Amino acid sequence: MSGDVERFLVVGAGLFVLGVVGFLTRRNLIMMILSAEMMLHGVSLTLVTFGRMHGTSEGQAFTIFTLTVAACEAGLALALVLNLYRKSHSLDIQLWSRLREPDLQSPADEGSGGTPLTERDPYKGLPKLTPAGRMPSDSEAVRNS
Amino acid sequence: MTAWIQTHPVTFAGLIIWVLGILWLLPARQVAQPRPKIPGLLLTAVGIILLCSSVGKAQSELASEVLFWLFSVSALLCGVLMVTSRNPVYGALWFALVTLSTCGLFLLQSAPFLAASTIIVYAGAVIVTFLFVIMLAQQGGALGYDQQSRQGIPATVAAFVLLGAIVMTLQMKPAADNAAAAAGVVAAATPATVGNPLSATDAEHPLGSMKGLGRSLFGDYLFAVELAGTLLLIASIGAIAIAPRREQGAI
Repeated sequence: MSGDVERFLVVGAGLFVLGVVGFLTRRNLIMMILSAEMMLHGVSLTLVTFGRMHGTSEGQAFTIFTLTVAACEAGLALALVLNLYRKSHSLDIQLWSRLREPDLQSPADEGSGGTPLTERDPYKGLPKLTPAGRMPSDSEAVRNS
Repeated sequence: MTAWIQTHPVTFAGLIIWVLGILWLLPARQVAQPRPKIPGLLLTAVGIILLCSSVGKAQSELASEVLFWLFSVSALLCGVLMVTSRNPVYGALWFALVTLSTCGLFLLQSAPFLAASTIIVYAGAVIVTFLFVIMLAQQGGALGYDQQSRQGIPATVAAFVLLGAIVMTLQMKPAADNAAAAAGVVAAATPATVGNPLSATDAEHPLGSMKGLGRSLFGDYLFAVELAGTLLLIASIGAIAIAPRREQGAI
């Protein structure tokens, strides 16, 4: 019995660790939350295994509570992600690294692809007209006015 | 530590090979072309199989052994693919496969109700919500920030040091138990039933049965069930309050 239990515990620990890897390495907000959900899977598997090891229903009851908390967490986190996306028009977590204290070092190397929050395209999301004719130069525009 | 490596070389080799597979599969910054996935996948699968086969003993029944290998390898492999996928839509779909495999492992451990409810909640609700958010927010498919991993090598190594510590503890515990038994120290029968008598399993309420689980939930943990319901209510109110409204502009 005990040897069988340990294998399930290893699989649960593996799922948790994969979630940790995903949470730390991915830069997409949605992938980070999905990784957190995978950590919860690992914890659930461990709880069920412990319940079977002790022969009580407590492990499965705890797992149902874990499921409840995971559902709440997913809903709240997605609402927060939508809010962040509305502000920055990107799911990149790197854009929010400016939230740190001003005298602290950057947690990761900035400028590795992600455009900073202040320099985003101001015309993004506005309707575009089909370009027609040739683009007037600045001097021409000044002369005509 | 070194003694553990010497006595369990297969486990250590499995961990190392698994780390190498993940590092191969992680989106890299300098590489213009994505690396081919096949070597990384093979390394990962070999690492997982070495690690799982070196811990614990095999079961006597062939069917449960085959099912355990099927579900555990698919859970961990799909987890690796989810963590390293460049497109978040594929990541969500791999996560659905991880959920299904975990539910298979639940079934193997005689938790059928839990498997069913996990499939309903995760595959039915959570993944669909994630896909909706991806559709709302990221219509362009894979973008630049999905092609790069952030601090890939330190994060992976740190996480696998954690896994190595857990596995080492699991492998050292039976030895400690045997030593205690040899010294005449007999562990007391697990007194888990003392505090929560309704969670105990017997012939009438076997492990994993709806009757036993319901008795545990609504007997021993009735107050916690009420709290969990309140938490769900508050979380749904909070999600509605936080989510951006239409008058604040389109998403």
